[in-house]
Amino acid sequence: MAQPILEIRDLTVEFDTEDGVVRAVTGVSYDLAPGEVLGIVGESGSGKSVSMLSVLGLIPKPPGRIPSGHATFEGEDLLTMSSSRLRDLRGGRIAMIFQDPMTSLNPVLTIGDQISEAILVHNSGTSDDDARKRTVELLELVGVPFAERRVDQYPHEFSGGMRQRAMIAMAIANDPAVLIADEPTTALDVTIQAQIVEVLKAAQRETHAAIVLITHDLGLVAELADRVVVMYAGRVVELADVFTIFNEPRHPYTIGLMNSLARLDADLDRLEPIPGQPPSLITPPPGCAFHPRCAISQGRAICRTEVPPLKAVGVQEAPHDSACHFADELANLGAARAGTAS
Amino acid sequence: MLQYVIRRLLYSAVVLVLASFLVFMFVTVSGDPLAALKITPNVSEETVQNIIERKHLDEPVPVRYYEWVKDALTNKFGTTLLTDEPILPDLWRVMKNTLQLVLVAELLAILIAVGIGVYSALRQYSVFDYSMTTFSFLGLATPVFWLALMLQVAVVQIYLATGRNVFPIANLNSVDPGEGLSFVIDRAHHLVLPVIVLMVANIATYSRYMRASMLEVVNSDYVRTARAKGLAESRVTMKHAFRNALIPLVTLVALNFGTLLGGVVVTETVFSLDGMGLYFVNALGTNDPYPVMAWLMITATMIIIFNLVADITYGLLDPRVRYD
Repeated sequence: MAQPILEIRDLTVEFDTEDGVVRAVTGVSYDLAPGEVLGIVGESGSGKSVSMLSVLGLIPKPPGRIPSGHATFEGEDLLTMSSSRLRDLRGGRIAMIFQDPMTSLNPVLTIGDQISEAILVHNSGTSDDDARKRTVELLELVGVPFAERRVDQYPHEFSGGMRQRAMIAMAIANDPAVLIADEPTTALDVTIQAQIVEVLKAAQRETHAAIVLITHDLGLVAELADRVVVMYAGRVVELADVFTIFNEPRHPYTIGLMNSLARLDADLDRLEPIPGQPPSLITPPPGCAFHPRCAISQGRAICRTEVPPLKAVGVQEAPHDSACHFADELANLGAARAGTAS
Repeated sequence: MLQYVIRRLLYSAVVLVLASFLVFMFVTVSGDPLAALKITPNVSEETVQNIIERKHLDEPVPVRYYEWVKDALTNKFGTTLLTDEPILPDLWRVMKNTLQLVLVAELLAILIAVGIGVYSALRQYSVFDYSMTTFSFLGLATPVFWLALMLQVAVVQIYLATGRNVFPIANLNSVDPGEGLSFVIDRAHHLVLPVIVLMVANIATYSRYMRASMLEVVNSDYVRTARAKGLAESRVTMKHAFRNALIPLVTLVALNFGTLLGGVVVTETVFSLDGMGLYFVNALGTNDPYPVMAWLMITATMIIIFNLVADITYGLLDPRVRYD
C-alpha cells in the first residue's frame, strides 16, 4: 500500500454518562491510502462514526474524551494539534458529508450561503462574487438542476436527494484530500440512494479524494469501497479488501452480517438475523464482545476470557486481518457459503 | 406576505367587533352603574335622570350598545359616567406612561435574559448555569407585589439607617420635576424600582426559553455541519446557532408585550404609577363602565396587534414559514 494519507493508531474514545463510562471506540487502528475508498461497516453504536468524528474534534468534550491514540494526517497528529490548525483542516483538506441532509443544513440560511461560507472561510482572499460563481459550479457538478436559481433557495425548498447533493458540493468545495461520508445515503429512499452514489463517484473523480465511507449498508460498500473495516462494539473485528470481505469473511460477525442481507441472487425464504442484542458499551461482555451472539464460539472458554487480537489470517497476498480466536475454522466457510448461494 | 397581513387585519376587525360586543354585554350585566349614586343623600332625582338620559341607560341593550359604539368611534371613546369628562386624554396619558415603563423593562430584560440563556447553554451544568436556574425559579416563584413591597421596605430601611433616599418608592415624578433633561432624569429615577420588579419575572422566563432553545440548537446537526466546515467557534455560535435559537423567544416576547401594554396592574398599584393598570383598577373602583370598556378595548387591540407582529416577525426570521 502507498504511504497512507491518514493513519489511525490505537484510538480510544470514551463518553462519561450518568450510567457510567461508555467506551465507544477501543484501540482502533486503520490506514487510509490516498484516493482509495475505505468502507467502515458496523451496526449502530459500533463506533464507526465516533471514530471519525473524534479525530476531527467534532465530538462534544465533555462528555467525550480521547484517552489514547494517534491520528496522523499528512504527518501531523490531528489529536494533538492546535484547535485552530484543526479548524483549517476541517472543511478544507478533510471534509465531511453527514447522514441526514434534512437536519444537517441550517434552515434559515440559503443553500448558496452555506456552501460559499465553506469556500470563504478557507480562502480568505476570495470575493463574494467569486465564491458565488464557484458555488453555482459546484451545484452543477453534483447535478443540481437550475443551479443559478436554486443557489438562492433555502434547504426546505430542496428535496432530500438535492439536499444531500448540496452537502456533497459543500464538502468538495475546497478540494479535500479526505472525504468522510457518514451514512451518506441512509436517510434517502432507494432510487435517490443510487443517484447519490453516482454523485459521490463523480465527486471523487473531481477531487481524487480518499473517501471514508461510514455505513451499515453492505450494498453501498460493495458498490464503492476498495477496502473494508468491520467494527463491532467499538473495535475493528475484520479488515480486508472488499472482494475478500464478501467472498471469504473470516470473522463470525462479518459472516452474520452477510447472512442477514436480503439478496437477489439467492432463493431465501427467511433472512438469517444475528441472534441477540448489540452489547452494552458500559459493561461489554468479557473477552470477545461478540461471544454471546457467536455461532462459532460454542461456549469455548477463551472467547469469554481473552480479547482476540486483530491478526493476519489467510494466505492470500492482500492483507486480511480478523479478530477471532477461531478465524482459521472459518477458512472454508466463506467458500461453502458462496457455494450455497450460487 | 402583504396579502396575509391584510387578511389578518380584516380578520382582526371582526374579532374586535366581537370583542366589543362581549365587553359591552359583560360590563352591562354586571349591575346598575348608578346604584351607588341613587342611594347617596343630597343627590336629586333630576341629576340621576340627566345621567340616564345622557347615557341612554333607559333604552334597550342593543340601542345602548349602538350608542356606546357610536360614541366611542366618533367621540374619542366618549365621556365618563358621572362627570361627563372625555376619556381619551386620560387614557392617552396612562398609555404613554405604561409604554415607557414596559418598554424599558422589556428591553433590559431581553438583553440580560438572552445573555444569560446563551451563556448557560454554552456552559451547561456549570456553576453559572445552576445559579441562573436557581435565580429563574426564585424569580418565577416570587409574587410581584411582595417583591415590590420588599424593595420599598429596603429603600425605607436604607433611608432610616443612612439618611439617604436612594430611590423614590412611589409615583412617576417628583412634585416639581423640572423641565427637559432634569425631567427625564427624575422620571428615570422613579422608574428604577418598578423596572426591576418587572424585569425579574421576565428575565426568569425569557432566560429559560433562551437556554432551552439554544441548547437544542447547539446540539443540532447543522451546527455540527458548521463546525465541520471549519468555521471558528464564535461564528458557529453567532451565525448558525444564535439566530435559530432566537426565533422562539422573539415570538414569546412579541406576544407578551401586547399583554403588558394593557398595564401591569400590580406593579403600578404598589408604586402608585399613573399607568394603564392603575387606571383600570381605579375605573373599576368608581364603578364607571365607560373607562373600563375603553380600557378593555384598547387592551384587546394591543393583544391582537402584537399577535400579528409575532406572526410577521416569525415569518421574517424563519424562511420555512410562509404566509401565502
